[in-house]
Amino acid sequence: MARFILRRFLSGVLTVLMVFVINFIIIKAAPGDPIRTIMGKETDDPVLREALMEKWGLNKSIPEQFWSQFSNALKGDLGTSIIYNRSVNDMINERLAATVLLGIVSSLLALVTGTALGIFCARHEGSFIDGLLSTISYALDAMPSFWLGLMLIILLSSKLGLLPTQGMVDARADYQGIKHVLDVALHLVLPTLTLVLITMPGYFRIAKSSIQQVTSEDFITTLRATGMSRKKIFDKYIFKNAILPTVTMFGITLAFLVTGVTLIEIVFSWPGTGRLTMTAINQRDYPVLMGIYLVMSVSVAVVMVLVDIAYAFLDPRIRYDK
Amino acid sequence: MLKKIANKCIRAFMADRQLRIGVIGIVCLLLIIIFAPTIATHDPYSFDFKRLLAPGVGGHILGTNHLGQDVFSMLVYGVGTSLKVAVISAFISGALGVIIGGVSGYIGGVTDTIISEIINIFLMIPTFFLILLIISLFGNSIVNVMIVIGVTTWPGNAKLMRAQALSLRERTFVQSAVALGETKPQILFKYILPNGIFPVVANTTRGMAGAILTEAALSFLGLGDPNIISWGQMIYQGKQYTTSAWWISAFSGIAVIITVIFFYMLGDGLNHVFNPKYNYGRSK
Amino acid sequence: MRNVLSVENLNVTYVNKSKRVMAVRNASFSINRGDSLGIVGESGSGKSTLAMAILGLLPAQTTQITGKALFLEDKDLFSISEKEMNEIRWKKLAVVFQKAMNSLSPVHRISEMIEDIYCVHEPRATKDEIRQVTFRLLKLVNLPERVYNLYPHEMSGGMLQRVAIAISLLHQPQLLIFDEATTALDVVTQGQILNEIVQMEKELETTRIMITHDMSVVATSCTKIAVMYAGEIVETGFVKDVMVNPSHPYTKALLKSFPSLKGENAKMESIPGFLPDLTKDYPYCIFAPRCSEAGKRCFREKPTLKPDSIGGASACFIQQGGVE
Repeated sequence: MARFILRRFLSGVLTVLMVFVINFIIIKAAPGDPIRTIMGKETDDPVLREALMEKWGLNKSIPEQFWSQFSNALKGDLGTSIIYNRSVNDMINERLAATVLLGIVSSLLALVTGTALGIFCARHEGSFIDGLLSTISYALDAMPSFWLGLMLIILLSSKLGLLPTQGMVDARADYQGIKHVLDVALHLVLPTLTLVLITMPGYFRIAKSSIQQVTSEDFITTLRATGMSRKKIFDKYIFKNAILPTVTMFGITLAFLVTGVTLIEIVFSWPGTGRLTMTAINQRDYPVLMGIYLVMSVSVAVVMVLVDIAYAFLDPRIRYDK
Repeated sequence: MLKKIANKCIRAFMADRQLRIGVIGIVCLLLIIIFAPTIATHDPYSFDFKRLLAPGVGGHILGTNHLGQDVFSMLVYGVGTSLKVAVISAFISGALGVIIGGVSGYIGGVTDTIISEIINIFLMIPTFFLILLIISLFGNSIVNVMIVIGVTTWPGNAKLMRAQALSLRERTFVQSAVALGETKPQILFKYILPNGIFPVVANTTRGMAGAILTEAALSFLGLGDPNIISWGQMIYQGKQYTTSAWWISAFSGIAVIITVIFFYMLGDGLNHVFNPKYNYGRSK
Repeated sequence: MRNVLSVENLNVTYVNKSKRVMAVRNASFSINRGDSLGIVGESGSGKSTLAMAILGLLPAQTTQITGKALFLEDKDLFSISEKEMNEIRWKKLAVVFQKAMNSLSPVHRISEMIEDIYCVHEPRATKDEIRQVTFRLLKLVNLPERVYNLYPHEMSGGMLQRVAIAISLLHQPQLLIFDEATTALDVVTQGQILNEIVQMEKELETTRIMITHDMSVVATSCTKIAVMYAGEIVETGFVKDVMVNPSHPYTKALLKSFPSLKGENAKMESIPGFLPDLTKDYPYCIFAPRCSEAGKRCFREKPTLKPDSIGGASACFIQQGGVE
């Protein structure tokens, strides 16, 4: 068990290292002169250029540059925005909470609803609802998340005027206390709904197929032959066996979820890192983009390692392997 | 061998509904590309003063956008962009995956350990941000988009191919080729790759669907190629007009969904064909 | 001598949208206390379907069952309610399935599963009591007590099969069904387990049905035999008689297709032709198309099981007045 955790931990560290290396290579290989971007097109003062080179560390050798950036990143310093001249850390920090809120709420909801519907359809295979939900989930799987978000805005808000579509709070009202919480919750509905709909099909499919698969296993037939009640067989034996692939799925979906959150934040003007990504793209603010990429990758890696460890606790077969 | 596969494909085509829908759907899309000038009711590149016309108004079946372009005709011309992105990026991804995975699985040892670790890492990190970063740095031409999607999505294919190579390596016909003194590259290209490629082919069609969605997402972030017509960009343009002209985003999104579903169906159907355990019309 | 199970005219049909597969056709047999009956046949002969039908484990929507199965001279297993069936299950009628590897939940300890199974019929049993019962049974199947706290993946196939047998004995059932229970094991382990089963029965006085495709399993572990072909029982009798002097041509052919137990160097032969299409009705002898001794009558009439003088029976016109 300890060895398993250590192994997973090491591969997590390796992942972060790799992300950093890729980042560095891309920036170095990119066409164009970064100094030009900073200075603007009009000025071309050699003294200024020299000073800027010094400031951004571009006059050092490539390995030196790599090392200084890497050690800074290790210390948690992601550099400075070339547009706002602010610390990237600060820029991401003030936005991260909104993203994490949206991400956690929607991933947990998708996990629960997708799994529940999958279980329901597995137990009512061939029923009308099974057919309907399977078709819907196939279609949702093919849907661009941002498009679904736009359509929900058109349907639920523009036409029916039901829910707020932009931002995280009502800027005009400036609520306090419990009213503030309710306001955020109301603004959370549409972005969450979109994300849940987009990520749910994965859980739905995996829950349905693994329930069906476990139900046809010999040990379930044996248990039925013992006269044990169907409820007990399902609650204890089918469920615990069939839930394992869902746990794995949760890890795999994370990367997909992070992408989805970014796009959905842009659709709903949610004040998180997704919006920051958009502005950074438009202004070609590379340190910010790299910072976001690094933060996202590290978060995904950390959660995935945690998910794997949780899996090892649930499945006795893993604990002793390797 | 080939004849057997062809026979099986024909039988599967008749028996498997998903494969049938997928193949017919994609053939239809190809026909739309070929006959685009005939099918389109207007020139999608012509700007007009008739802006933001609702569907059906003034002979515009699906309305016009903010520049007065005919939405239906843009959709028709957009098929080509989507399919081009799908096929080329999936081909790059498939080729890289097959070669890297095949080499890794066949050679084994330290090479395999390193490559499979890299594959696992790539499967873990959010690829979309990587694509985003590269496109915004290297420029957002459609060629770049296709190459970058291909280059960043190979690990899934490589993983499949590696597993195939690992099992094929132990098979008798490969062992006898080794005994007959054929060189490693010969064995790799003559036996391992051709025999192990089928699951990758099926996966690649899913990759095509993924590429279409990724291109759309990039366009939505303003990183699409401004010189071409793409459904993703139409959704992006329509975003500003969700209240006044919902049809711009709505119809282009539906076009994406239908195309992606065709590729999914094709992929699922191919999986059924290549999976020896899958039998049609099970009796028990 | 008390009758344990008496099956009469059992028909099992699998029904789906497009076709009906008659997997078991008009099967009748009975088994008395202390008997061990081996049901032999090739794969697809309907022998497992027969077992699943008796156990009431076939999916109700896709199967049709007709006939009677009188259990302990008391209840017809095909007409009692689910509740009554559950009372019989495991308490009086238990089963061991083919793949030992899959017959235990991989994420639960053996002890946990056994406790749950035991409590189905003895809800007030204490953990200690269950442990004592299980330890005794584990000893019976030659396993150390420590396996009680293991997970299935920590044991070998032979050990798992022994655990499955021990579990089937928890309530000392009157009838035990082994559905290809030793097929997945290697020959040595299979031999050991078969010996243990025979030993065990001397102590426990259970009655057993052994479903297998392997004649040698029947030869070493059963007293009676029923041979199935294409869903029909074609011959029954005592193992010692049928093995030495088979009357039905199919039994003869089946015996020839297995290596001799005594190590004689007889030629092994396979049976020409294929299993018949089970979606069709056969108003004549179902084995006739593959039979080397078939005559005109075999294609005209259907033979029924006719008892002979030594306690056996066969469904063949050779014993019933000739094939012409």
